[in-house]
Amino acid sequence: MRTKNKKAQEEMIGFALIIIIVAVILLIFLGFSLRTHQKELVESYEVDSFIQSFLQYTSDCAEGHEPNYASIQKLIFLCNRKERCTDERDSCEVLNTTLTQILEKSWEIVDRPTKGYELNISSGNKDIILIKTGNFTRNYKGSQQNLIIGGNPSDIIFVAYY
Amino acid sequence: MLNQLKTKIILQIVSYGKMKNRKAQLKIKQMTFMLIAVTLFFALVGMFVLVIKFSDIREAATELEERNAMLLVSKLANSPEFSCGGAFDTPRLNCIDADKVMILRQHIEKYNDFWGVSNIEIRKIYPAANSEILCTLENYPNCNIIRLRSKEIIGADLSNFISLCRKEPYEGDYYNKCELARIMVSYEEK
Repeated sequence: MRTKNKKAQEEMIGFALIIIIVAVILLIFLGFSLRTHQKELVESYEVDSFIQSFLQYTSDCAEGHEPNYASIQKLIFLCNRKERCTDERDSCEVLNTTLTQILEKSWEIVDRPTKGYELNISSGNKDIILIKTGNFTRNYKGSQQNLIIGGNPSDIIFVAYY
Repeated sequence: MLNQLKTKIILQIVSYGKMKNRKAQLKIKQMTFMLIAVTLFFALVGMFVLVIKFSDIREAATELEERNAMLLVSKLANSPEFSCGGAFDTPRLNCIDADKVMILRQHIEKYNDFWGVSNIEIRKIYPAANSEILCTLENYPNCNIIRLRSKEIIGADLSNFISLCRKEPYEGDYYNKCELARIMVSYEEK
């Protein structure tokens, strides 16, 4: 009778201990899973705003007379029409150089969360500008802006890979 | 003989009573153990719930600050205090009037707690400068950082691309000059 009771007691204590241990482990996991909230490395609003902002950038290519310096948006139109700046530089060359430098400064890929980027400005089926750099990973954020260039619907597509 | 029998019966009754007492004691012990185990279990669970709740409150506060900063950083450029408005020919999106911000900086004490963030900073990205120069009324526009509050950016920050425009003098006249910049909003982590 005594040994039977002792055995039952031990079993009960063991059962209670197991319940406590399991509950504690579950709570720890729950706590960790609730805490793992991560901030996005590249936010979509950043990519959207980037296109809007670089289109307004004042380049050093004057159209007709100085200081009528063209914005990047205007420079895209000039490049599409194969026009030159007042200092005889090719508008497409200025556009390409300026955009490359803007991208290099805005989306640095060395020791940064951004691994690569791609900018494509096209009118109809023709590519006006295509700049690709870095690794194209599976995580990316992209944005598109539509323009009408020379009567043709045109797209500015920017994708940042992280 | 009769006496012996009586004594035997009495002894038997006593031993039965002892056994009954022991059984009761055992049951009490059993119940005590169970009660201790259950109390311990609930105490532990309660403790964990409290810890998680409190950490959640702190996290929620930081998250709210972050969300506020995120909404602010994506909208700030188009708010009347910063936006270019109609000063640069056509209305523009994500365009900040640098001249306006420099004046706003002089009266920033009137905007304490207006945006609910610890600091707002505008950093020119392109054209890039070799060194970081804080903007003051004396060196403007030959500088690359406009800090609305003089204190350093502390805690976490969120940023967004903007077009930073100003009126640039040219042979007695002015033209619109827009550069690429980032607006940074910092908030304190709880």
